[in-house]
Amino acid sequence: MIVAGCDVGALTAKAVVMEDGGVLGSGIIRARPDAVLSATEVMDRLIGNLGLLYSDIDRCVSTGYGRGIVPFAQTNLSEVSCHGRGATWLMPSVRTIIDGGGQDCKVLSVDKKGLLRDFRMTGKCGAGTGRALELMAESLGVDISEIGPLSLRATRPAILVHPCSVMTEIKIKYLVMEGIDDADIAAGITRNVAKHIMRLLYRFNVKQDIAITGGIAKNIGVVKQLEEMLDMEFVELPADPQLIGAIGAAVFAADQLTSPRSRRGYSTTTGR
Amino acid sequence: MSSDSKKQQRFIYAGCDLGICTAKVVITENRTILACEVVPYKSFPHKAAAAAMEGALRRAGVSGDGVIPCLSTGFGHKAVRFADRTAPDITCLLRGLRVLNPQVRTVIDVGGHTLLASNIGQNGDLLETAIVEDCAAGKGLFIEVMVKALEFTMEELVACSLASENPIRITNTCVVLAESEVISLINEGHSRFDVLAGTVLSVAAKIASVARRIDILPEVAMTGGVAKNAVVAREVERQLGLKFADLGGVDPQIVAAFGAALLAEESDLAGIKPGMDRR
Repeated sequence: MIVAGCDVGALTAKAVVMEDGGVLGSGIIRARPDAVLSATEVMDRLIGNLGLLYSDIDRCVSTGYGRGIVPFAQTNLSEVSCHGRGATWLMPSVRTIIDGGGQDCKVLSVDKKGLLRDFRMTGKCGAGTGRALELMAESLGVDISEIGPLSLRATRPAILVHPCSVMTEIKIKYLVMEGIDDADIAAGITRNVAKHIMRLLYRFNVKQDIAITGGIAKNIGVVKQLEEMLDMEFVELPADPQLIGAIGAAVFAADQLTSPRSRRGYSTTTGR
Repeated sequence: MSSDSKKQQRFIYAGCDLGICTAKVVITENRTILACEVVPYKSFPHKAAAAAMEGALRRAGVSGDGVIPCLSTGFGHKAVRFADRTAPDITCLLRGLRVLNPQVRTVIDVGGHTLLASNIGQNGDLLETAIVEDCAAGKGLFIEVMVKALEFTMEELVACSLASENPIRITNTCVVLAESEVISLINEGHSRFDVLAGTVLSVAAKIASVARRIDILPEVAMTGGVAKNAVVAREVERQLGLKFADLGGVDPQIVAAFGAALLAEESDLAGIKPGMDRR
């Protein structure tokens, strides 16, 4: 039984192919302007690498903001459900998940079965998202992947408190001009993002174990800041944190095959 | 700086308003504007301020020699290295407005990073104010990011947004999110011009909603860089159902810089020594 999950996000598209409870392969690409294009490109590449055909895949579930228009998926599910399912499938003790995505940030709590209990997400404001992090990294002139490691070398983290990321971007330019050390600015950036994520967690019932997923989880600086602010440690999921949603989608696809009437994950559309 | 030698010369003062997108310098003599210069910049605000000062002095036909008392204001007031005093931007704005048009009772100031609406009393004092501090929505920066995302230039904004017949409203207020929204709209096949016109509508709606938080008493003036943008200003006028007051033909972007120059003169004549803040 070969199943697939495809997570078409705002900034990246992710695909995972699984066979009998094990991950066969995965792929991540930068999202194209068109969600259909992103989905087909990431899946084409992945199944090409694995030497499979679309007909070999028994079921595919799509998720992410472009989930409704993935042509090869039979069902689509909310990314909130998929992140919950993916994280608990990888680590059954997980009860709370922070998903730091490209254009929004979510916190969700799941029960023992990995089903969604409660969630919160950002809506109007882009602060604390991957895109904001990317823009701030750009204005520092550092690649986004280097922000985390760089921030750990900070001695006196810069204070970047403005709630708006675009304003913070400009503040960063001023700090660069003033000759503030890059590492200190990077630490300011990670703290800024972490603070925005923490705002979501205000009065949220955070149960352990807690995991972090999404692209933000790849930033060691933000992760460390969040751990400090939460006074908790994140459990390490045995997979790329950006793939959790796609893994969750694939697990749901397998669930649906084994018990076809299962409505787990609150499916929003019927199969095509 | 010897004040005696200066008094033998002319009473020339400078005001520098260093915002988030542009540096504005106004040179005044006898409380009238001799020259002004607006320099847009991307990075290095101190260089932009210096360039604006240089340009303004050249236009005024005054030799710099670094003896002109200058007051700095705005987001980057600390980066104006040639200024010998500073004042808050709202103080400068009101001071400038008071001279340009004393009848103004409501000012809507929209710059690169500012969005505020204030009531002004009979004596030019600040009354109620509605201000957006936490967000770039409705500000010049928002327009700039959108224009860039749509691959227009700021110069094309007016003509190109007027070219649209059915504007598409942008739903996101956040710049970060709106930027990807416009990119998606373009990819859905909407015309660049319609999306640009929609951006103008959204910005104007945001500005109007901030203005409605206070009493809109006539005369109403709009200042700041965005006021120069004819389509946005007209749209705000339409949404509020009023006409903006005339500022005597003065560029609305330099009102605060003009006020800064006036304050420089006043504090200099009042004997306030350079380096003393009026903050």
